[in-house]
Amino acid sequence: MKRFLSMPPQITRLVLLTIAIICAYFTARYLLTPQSFGQYGHYRGAALQEIAGREPFWAGRKTCDTCHGEIVQKLAKAEHKGLSCETCHGPAKAHVDNPEVKLPKPGYGQCVRCHEASPSRPAWIHQVTPAKHYTGQVCTECHVPHQPNEVP
Amino acid sequence: MNADLLTNAVDLIPQVQGYAYPNERTLHPLWSVLIVVYPYVTGLVAGAFIMASLVRVLNVKALEPIYRLALLTALAFMLCATLPLLFHLGHPERCYEIMMTPHFTSPMAMFGFVYAWYLMAVLLLELWFDYRRDFVDWSRTESGLRGLIYRAFTLGVTDLSEPALRLDARMGRIISVVGIPSAFLLHGYVGFIFGSIKANPWWGNVLMPIIFILSAVVSGMALCVFAYLFLCWTRRVTADMRCLDLMTSFLFYALVIDATIEGLDWLHRLYSAEEGIEVLRSLASGKLFYTLLLGQAMMGTLVPLLLLGSLQLARKWVSDLNRRRVYFGCSALILLGVLAMRWNVVIGGQLFSKSMRGFMSYKMEFAGHEGWWLSLALLALPFIILTVLIKYFLALDLPTIENVVPGAVRRPHSSQAAEGRAG
Repeated sequence: MKRFLSMPPQITRLVLLTIAIICAYFTARYLLTPQSFGQYGHYRGAALQEIAGREPFWAGRKTCDTCHGEIVQKLAKAEHKGLSCETCHGPAKAHVDNPEVKLPKPGYGQCVRCHEASPSRPAWIHQVTPAKHYTGQVCTECHVPHQPNEVP
Repeated sequence: MNADLLTNAVDLIPQVQGYAYPNERTLHPLWSVLIVVYPYVTGLVAGAFIMASLVRVLNVKALEPIYRLALLTALAFMLCATLPLLFHLGHPERCYEIMMTPHFTSPMAMFGFVYAWYLMAVLLLELWFDYRRDFVDWSRTESGLRGLIYRAFTLGVTDLSEPALRLDARMGRIISVVGIPSAFLLHGYVGFIFGSIKANPWWGNVLMPIIFILSAVVSGMALCVFAYLFLCWTRRVTADMRCLDLMTSFLFYALVIDATIEGLDWLHRLYSAEEGIEVLRSLASGKLFYTLLLGQAMMGTLVPLLLLGSLQLARKWVSDLNRRRVYFGCSALILLGVLAMRWNVVIGGQLFSKSMRGFMSYKMEFAGHEGWWLSLALLALPFIILTVLIKYFLALDLPTIENVVPGAVRRPHSSQAAEGRAG
């Protein structure tokens, strides 16, 4: 202590200030770190329960198959077989729980999400420039999404 | 791997294979113009500090007049360095968490500590030791709120004896020595982040941290020249030509090294002709033509190199006024050139990915929270802070050493500065 006090005053003040900053940091860390942090890893352990407690809103293709098997089978044979039903129809859990809840009809927005021309898309995806291809924005007039080769 | 996960993966793979690379998902770059501004600002901090270090570490007396200006410039930009990141984040109010729950293997998380170290342990400490004598003087002569602030800045140490002042100078020098690698770390980290992204042919390069550091030094030095000339112009005083010539000599040599390393990088890319070279070539001649070839290479590097290089050889035949004009123009061009370089790296690097299938497009917003209006404001803010800092902490040190009246108390007011000059 004597040695510390005999140091030049600017050094002792800075050492004290540094100690104060470090103490403030650890106090803030103690107060602001969530209780469950580090329980399982570098995140809040309680976040798992919070996320698991959320109401699911996706149903999954298998659930669609239970009532709409015919369409799911048709889709499985066509170019869109890799797509999940909810990719175009949106989250379907509410509809599964209560069939009275209707899902919004997929339209132009869903088609151009994959088929609008973009140089970053692989060539095997059919791509069009909507302004040149058809400006009506009703793709289903000529295409059947569940069976793209079929003429409606 | 459990069966459900495998089934889901089999369902998912046909949808993503060869297509949905993370940065292609939205067809627009995720890192916007704010991420261009961010490395630009940190680079200016590092460069301005290196300029100040030349005075302390290498004892370059001729640069004395800009020592404090360079340090205050570094401080003003340092205070704004994290703002572009905060605006870019979805939840800026959570920023403190990076410090509260530090992740030691994440370079982005570690930046919080590098930033804190550089600000608190380097810049503020060096400024404090340099200004301590003035704080004590000002706290004795000033009253009211200003006097209170100066008294607080002294931290209660009013000892102005010869040994105490010698210790201040010695500590300042030690901090400068520590500060140089710290400045490199501050900005090298940005290059490290980009250089670590292996999937990007533009970024994944070991030279990236070095290129970032060198361009930072160049931009910071250019900023010091720009700020010095601008300050002299606003105060209607003539710049110290010896200091200015030396500053621009250092700037020229730094620019030579920077241009050589960046040229070497491009030469190596062209010669090794790895898979991404065609994409880079078409970017340079297409989407980045104006910013890369015209902005960065031509106006930001070649023209200043030629002008500053010519002045190195023919300085004595060019009048002071014309030299000042050339220096001012070159520093402005270099500043814009380095900004263009940041744009090319950050935005250009995101316009394509490892898929090499084509380009994405980036259209800057105007008034959005990541638009050019905000970027402009964030670039202007450090200059506003610098103006305030200059007003309060830089009165008599510019533009020449001779302006400091020996033995007189150096007061922070510009009016008193004018009196000092008149005297």
